[in-house]
Amino acid sequence: MAPEKQRILMVSDFFYPNFGGVENHIYYLSQCLLELGHKVVVMTHAYGNRSGVRYMTGGLKVYYVPWRPFVMQNTLPTFYGTLPIIRTILIREQISLVHGHQAFSTLCHEALMHARTMGYKVVFTDHSLYGFSDVGSIHMNKVLQFTLADVTQAICVSHTSKENTVLRSGIPPEKVYMIPNAVDTAMFKPAEERPGGNEIVIVVISRLVYRKGADLLVEVIPEVCRLYPNVRFIVGGDGPKRVRLEEMREKHSLQDRVDMLGAVPHASVRSVLISGHIFLNSSLTEAFCIAILEAASCGLLTVSTRVGGVPEVLPEDMVVLAEPDPADMVLAIKKAISLLPEIDPQVMHERMKKLYDWHDVAKRTEIVYDRALKCPNQPLLGRLSRYLSCGSWAGKLFCLVMIIDFLLLHLLQLWQPEEDIDKVPDFVIPPVEISSAFDQEQDD
Amino acid sequence: MDVGISNETLSRPRAKWRKVAYGGMQPGFDDNHTDESFLEDMVMNANVVKRDITKVILDSVSISQYLCIVSLVILVWNYTLQSTLDEYSLLFLDVGLLASGFVTLLLTREMCSLGLFFHYLLNIGFFTTGLYVLSPIYNTLTRSISSDTILAVTVSLIVLHLFLHDYSGCPIGVPGGALFTAPSLTSCVSLNASVVASVFIASRLPSRLHVFAVMLFSMQVFLFAPFVTYCIKKCSLALHLVFSCGLMALTLSLVYALHKLLFVVLLGLLVFVSVVCPCWLIRIQEYKFEINGPWDEAKLCFDIRD
Repeated sequence: MAPEKQRILMVSDFFYPNFGGVENHIYYLSQCLLELGHKVVVMTHAYGNRSGVRYMTGGLKVYYVPWRPFVMQNTLPTFYGTLPIIRTILIREQISLVHGHQAFSTLCHEALMHARTMGYKVVFTDHSLYGFSDVGSIHMNKVLQFTLADVTQAICVSHTSKENTVLRSGIPPEKVYMIPNAVDTAMFKPAEERPGGNEIVIVVISRLVYRKGADLLVEVIPEVCRLYPNVRFIVGGDGPKRVRLEEMREKHSLQDRVDMLGAVPHASVRSVLISGHIFLNSSLTEAFCIAILEAASCGLLTVSTRVGGVPEVLPEDMVVLAEPDPADMVLAIKKAISLLPEIDPQVMHERMKKLYDWHDVAKRTEIVYDRALKCPNQPLLGRLSRYLSCGSWAGKLFCLVMIIDFLLLHLLQLWQPEEDIDKVPDFVIPPVEISSAFDQEQDD
Repeated sequence: MDVGISNETLSRPRAKWRKVAYGGMQPGFDDNHTDESFLEDMVMNANVVKRDITKVILDSVSISQYLCIVSLVILVWNYTLQSTLDEYSLLFLDVGLLASGFVTLLLTREMCSLGLFFHYLLNIGFFTTGLYVLSPIYNTLTRSISSDTILAVTVSLIVLHLFLHDYSGCPIGVPGGALFTAPSLTSCVSLNASVVASVFIASRLPSRLHVFAVMLFSMQVFLFAPFVTYCIKKCSLALHLVFSCGLMALTLSLVYALHKLLFVVLLGLLVFVSVVCPCWLIRIQEYKFEINGPWDEAKLCFDIRD
């Protein structure tokens, strides 16, 4: 029995023109859902001058709501300020389900709260891992507990991320689905000719920040260059730790063996990857590392730190794992260099095509939507009991927030009735048929 | 026919669920399948220290001891402001305190060279001269401000000082000691608060000699008392306990002589700090829930500073 066609609203603070894991996930998932016949609308905040309604490939409608981001690409959390615009979008597009992304996005939390008040089913996807002990994480986990107390279904991108989300928010594990990210294998193809010569090129592409293990790189690169005279490094990416890497390069006189490319635009990532043999990832924490998938799709052997969800991402023969310790990483690079002759990039690319596919992700997400829509509707009082269990003080505060939201919604329904909001008719853009129909008319 | 069907299902067992993200949906399992291995790598309360109530009470004696020292200082200020204590007896008290402090240091610290002694004496000399020279300024500093304001500000500053004080260490550091820890921001702020409070109180006194005597007394206690008590504590625990109990008894008796209500308040505070707080800490320690697992950010085992 094929699942019904849905009308989905994706909400997040993070979307194009930003590039990143969450942004790419939303874009590719939306495109694949559009191909399956669903209608997808994306809502995010305005990026500079880019505000209003835009259409992207395949008829993907994006609402760039004119709210300014205030810190780290997040909109200012005003609790109820977003209620009118979200209500309007939900009614205009005749949405059946709301899908929010990323726990760090304030717009996502607010949209999910308002959608629940209006009675829509909501799905939440968590893309990151968080700790439990520092002040920022404690507050973030409380906010997440509030949102997930009443979410219909949740999705996590790896099993480690699922365990982390369940511990942080206290929702039953059966409500959390594990659907990984995928990679666009059509874009990340290996080179026809492998870079030859007896030089081994190790590629690193990441933001050069503490979290991505730039300090480990500073320790590992000189050691590897010392042990293997035929190894060269290409480091792409920018960030606060770039200065340390430049200093390391000067100190050990590795200017001819370490290339610093600076920030690499997303379109050029493939050309940088195919110039190498090994991909090195030194992050200190990762829920799911898409960079590794891109590298594997381009036929590179990956060396990575064993953190977070990384051990689950690739089979053991495509990745060499190491503890986040410089000595262990050097040993792992040694093992990778010895494994290199057996690696065939084309074979690896073909394997990746079978292991990860965005269409598969979209189909699995469709199943989650189906389950979400089958869940029974609950009136306000039933939902309030779920919020009360969040904590002795927090539970009552959350209930108060939801009751005020409920009252504001009814006020809004009186002020701006649903009948007054125009509904958007469905456009179906068949790319090929239009031109052939035109040719037929010409013939007639 | 039934046997045939059951044979077929037996010959194709369901594949084992694997904790991997690749390969699409695992056949026979839903995406929300929760295995028995769920959360098996979670480690709980790995770094939590089990506390013993006797040790916690003994540690809280440092706090009560410092509270008594500050109460004694406030008593002396009170008697000076009421002119019960005149400036000569105050100066005598200062010299006595200084001498006893030196004697304690000599007795409790192992290394006591003559050079170090003269170094200390020189510093004290500079310090005392500086205070004597500045005392005319302090005398007229707050003449235009009302007494109520001064009292209110002094009380708040003393409360701030007690709140931010570093009870475990020593605010001025241990020169030449084995463990020299730099004073933290809060201990510097607390020291400054106590100095400013002493200046305000001193500025209410009638003559310059009064001001000098009170300032010298306050500065001695606030700057050197933590150092001296730290040396006593380091020397022997029994001496520390005896000293603290003696100090508490002295303070309580003097406060009793002054005002009954204040005595009750001080006694209540000391009982709260010494007995109630340790029991409370031990009780809420049971709720501590520290979670560690594969999702934690990796800690770098080497120092980042180059």
